[in-house]
This record gives sequence, structure tokens and C-alpha cells, in this order.
Amino acid sequence: MFRKFALLAVALGLGLLSACALVSPEASFAPTHPQELPQGRPTCSECHGTERVKSTQKQFAAFDHTPTFVKNHKFAANQDPGTCAACHAPAFCSDCHGGKTAMLPSVKLADRPDREMPHRGNYLTMHRIDGKVDPTSCFKCHGRANNEKCSACHK
Amino acid sequence: MRQHTQVALLAALISATAGAQDVSVYSTTMAQMYQQNVPGFDKANLLPATEYLAIDATKLGSDRLSLHLYGWGYTDLQDQSTIGGKTAGNLTYGYLQYNFDQANAVIKAGRFTVNQGAGNEQVDGVSARTDLVNGFYVSAFAGTPVIFKNLDSYPQFDLAFQRNITFGARLAWRIPKMGELAVSYLQDGTATPSLNVNDPVDYTRRQMGVDLKLSPWSMLDISGRTLFDLAKHDNLLPGTDTSNIAEHDYSATLKPLDSLSFTGSFVERNFYAYYAGSTLPNLFDMNEKGLFRATGLSATWAPLSGFQIVADVKRTDREEYGTATRAGADLRYNFTKAHVLTGFGYHKINAFNVIQVDARVPSYSISHAEWRAWAMVESGKLSATIDAIRLHYSAAATNPFLYGKAFETQLVGSVGYQAATSFKVSGDLSVEDTPLYQKQVMGILKLEYRFGFSFKGGK
Repeated sequence: MFRKFALLAVALGLGLLSACALVSPEASFAPTHPQELPQGRPTCSECHGTERVKSTQKQFAAFDHTPTFVKNHKFAANQDPGTCAACHAPAFCSDCHGGKTAMLPSVKLADRPDREMPHRGNYLTMHRIDGKVDPTSCFKCHGRANNEKCSACHK
Repeated sequence: MRQHTQVALLAALISATAGAQDVSVYSTTMAQMYQQNVPGFDKANLLPATEYLAIDATKLGSDRLSLHLYGWGYTDLQDQSTIGGKTAGNLTYGYLQYNFDQANAVIKAGRFTVNQGAGNEQVDGVSARTDLVNGFYVSAFAGTPVIFKNLDSYPQFDLAFQRNITFGARLAWRIPKMGELAVSYLQDGTATPSLNVNDPVDYTRRQMGVDLKLSPWSMLDISGRTLFDLAKHDNLLPGTDTSNIAEHDYSATLKPLDSLSFTGSFVERNFYAYYAGSTLPNLFDMNEKGLFRATGLSATWAPLSGFQIVADVKRTDREEYGTATRAGADLRYNFTKAHVLTGFGYHKINAFNVIQVDARVPSYSISHAEWRAWAMVESGKLSATIDAIRLHYSAAATNPFLYGKAFETQLVGSVGYQAATSFKVSGDLSVEDTPLYQKQVMGILKLEYRFGFSFKGGK
């Protein structure tokens, strides 16, 4: 029995050492952008040009906050959350992606019409239309939330 | 997690911030005032007060250790404003994070949201990621899904789909001067034993994702992912035709000039595979076999500094319901010297024959047009915004959900005063006239505090 445990311990130790050898030796990306940015959507490539973000192999232009980037930001947030975190506090994401929210993001941030917000206007009427056209877009936020407000009508 | 355990954990986490060298606190206190007047329901005078609180405490003993908390609570000062009672609260996230100074390695423990190729989960658990040699990196998580429990007065059957554990991992390869390719996996555990659910169908999710971002030239960017449903689905009848591909979601952007870009997008989702793991099956029917497909094209043009126009068209096809086309444009202009930002948008949605919605009304149009105009202005410590939205429904007479009303209007105005760097007071007034609510006026008083050393916050 002792031999089995010893062999297992040696195997685990060797596995751990191998795993450590696989870890990149490079320094981590800066946790905070060194300069404060002006208000509004930043264009990273304005200052960084065609340079690549060292830790991501992507050009800074890939993070320019263009209308397309804002619409498809899920891909950047998925692949490079560390780059987002250099400028955005975690609470920024929770303005919309709260899981369970106290009120609509567009009501909470009614004084920011420049920001893309889901469900602007009185969405209760519109959701019956959008839900017919594309219910899969509802699923992304509500499908795993077990939202009691949905259950009140959708029994 | 039980409520008193959550409170104890929250208290322990907040007290831990006392040892931090840098603490940032973001607080927003809001009081809403409005009268709800919905056909078929009693009138209600509503005065809910809501508090949002976020804390980021860094350098907790070590420069690399930090604590992050975000939650909200509200109470109704008059009539009950929502389902579930006159008070409610939620801890959206609360976790300790350790950032290593090498390999972008990070470890998290607590409540957090996972966002990876397969898996967009809010969990109570742990996660870790690190860069590997030769451009590879790996991330993984495991934990208990955060349960949004139904009200006691409602059937608890949704919880039959809640699992006791969920875990996943993602392995990515960053190709120099090219982009990133990744493969990810997500799996649920077994049904939560305390729910005492005896369901013959195994709804355990097993999903695999492939995602990519390729930019071989600076003028071209391709992003997207494909999600596969690997679950066995033993409950299906032999010969049932379903696809294991839950989702394709791709977009490609071509930028021939600095001021001009074109984006094409393609989305396809198979309901049966895509809805796997839903905790709201009465809304997202996991037995639905339909297919949704959308193709879109947009052009962004910025001919002048501060001016931008985006024109877009998108066609959607849903097998059971029909086809819709959305086309229009959005404009933005920034009068930099005057500190004024404005926007205007118009979209027309054509969807003439939505089918099989109601036995009494088998087909009706949901075509409509959307207008939007907004402006923001700043002058010293004062700020003001206005946002106007107008919808025109084409077939109000035949759509049973519009109560014969063809127009919907909402106007929101806001005035703010930045009393100090860390303190702002503002008031919003919203006036709306909709098919559902008829006329409604809502006032909001908002107090925002921001204390701390960090300038993050996401403006």
C-alpha cells in the first residue's frame, strides 16, 4: 500500500514539475492603464499605432472601441479579460451583466444615452415582438437566470 | 447558499477590506417614484429605494491580492413594485483574486461570473488561468451554480434543471501576428439532491466550444465561435432529427480606410442544442426543434473628427415563425468644444407574417419603425441629457398585444450636478405612452459617491 502511495506521490510531483515548466516565464500585463483616459469610447490605436499587445499577440487596434467592437465585445471579454480590466473596474460589466438585477440597466443609467443598453424604452411591449423574431438572443441573459419576473407570466 | 451564510460571508469579506492599502467604493442610491397603471391590474403608487454598492480593495497584505464586491438591495417605501416582496437584495459578485507577476496567472475564489467559449456562468467556486510556453494559455473553473430561486407560491419545477456543480476549461493558442484559436469544455454535475427531484430525463449539460479571433492583416478581423452539444439525450425517440451544433456566431470586419469599415455577421442556432441547460424551460423549451439564422451587414463611416455614421441591415429567419428584416442607420456627432454629444437613429423592421402565434389570430404583422434622438451636454459642474424614442407599429389592429395602439413614445430627461469629485446628485424624469402602460410618468433621484484611489470604473 505504502509503495502505491509513494509511486502516486512521485508521479504527482513529476506532473506538477512538468506543469510548472510549461508556464510562461514572461511578466504579466500591466493591471492598470498607466494614464487616465478621457471620457468616451477610446481608440487604442491612436496612441499605440500598429503595436501589438504583448500578452495577447493582437494589435491594439483590435481593442479600439468602434461600434462593431461594442456590439461584439463578448469575444474580447472572453479572450482577454485582463486587457479589459486595465481600464474597467469589474462593476462596469455588472451594469448590464448582473445575472439578477434590481432594475433595467437603461433605467439605472438613463443619464447615459450614449452607452449601448439593452431594452431601452418601455421594453415590455417590444419583448413580445423581439421574442418572436429571435428568442435565442433572450436566452443569452435569461436562459440560465431562472428569473422570477419571467416566470410570473411564462409559466 | 443559505441567506445567513451569505450575510456572514459578506460581512467577513467587507471586514477584510480594512487591511487593504487601496480601497475604491462606488455607491449609487436611487429613489424611483411612479404610478403603475396596467390594464387588468389595480393602480399602484410605487416608491422603491435601491442601493448599489461596489468595493474594490487592492494590496490586501500582498500587492497581488485583491477583493472585489458588488451587490444591491432595495425596499419599497409604498406599494410593492415587483414580484417576491417589498425588499430584495443580491450579491452579484464577491471574490478574492490573486494576480501573479508572471504569466498573467490569476486565481479567483468566491462568487464570480465565468465567461469563456463554452460557459457563461455565475458560480460560487474557484477559477484559475495562466499563460503557457509557445503562446498557449489555459483557464479552468469549478463551482456551484448560483440559484435564482422561484417564489414559494410558484411551482419549483424549474429547479429540476439546476445542477449541484458546474465546471469547465479552455485551452487557447495565440499565434504570433495572426490571432487566437481556442477550444473549451463545460459540464454540469448531477441534480441538486436537496431538491428531491425525480425526473427521468437527464438534463446534464456537456458542451464544447471552439472560438477564434484572426487578424492576419490589420485591415481584416475575424471573430467567432461554434458551440457543440455533447449530451447524450437518451430521452429522444430513435430517429429524431436534431443537430449537435448549438451555435455558430461569426463576424468579419474589413477596414479599407481608417475612416471606413464593413462588418458581415452570421449566426445560426439550433434551439434543442442551444437551450440545453436552461433553468427557465417554460420559456426556453428544451424540446423545441427549431432553427434560427441571421445574416447581417454594416458599414461604419467617420468622415470627420467626432462624426460617425453606421448603416446596417440584418435578415433573420426562424423556422416556425417566419422572416424579419431590420435596416437603418445611427449617427453620432461630438461637438467637442461645446461639450455636446448627440445621436440619431432610425430603423425599419419588416416582419409581415408571423405565423402560428395564436389559434384565433394565426398570422399577423409585427413590422414596425424605430426612431431615436438623444443629446448630452456638460457645462462645468452641470450636466444634462435628453433621450427620445418613438416606435410605430404597422399592424396595431391585428396584433392582439398592442391593444389597437399604433405608437409608443418615451422621453427621458436628466439633470445632474457634480457637487464634488466624488459626489454627484442627479434627477431623471421619464414620460412614456405605450400600448401596455398607457401613460406613465416616472421620477428618479440619484446620488452617486465614488471614493478611492483608483481611476478605474468604466466611464
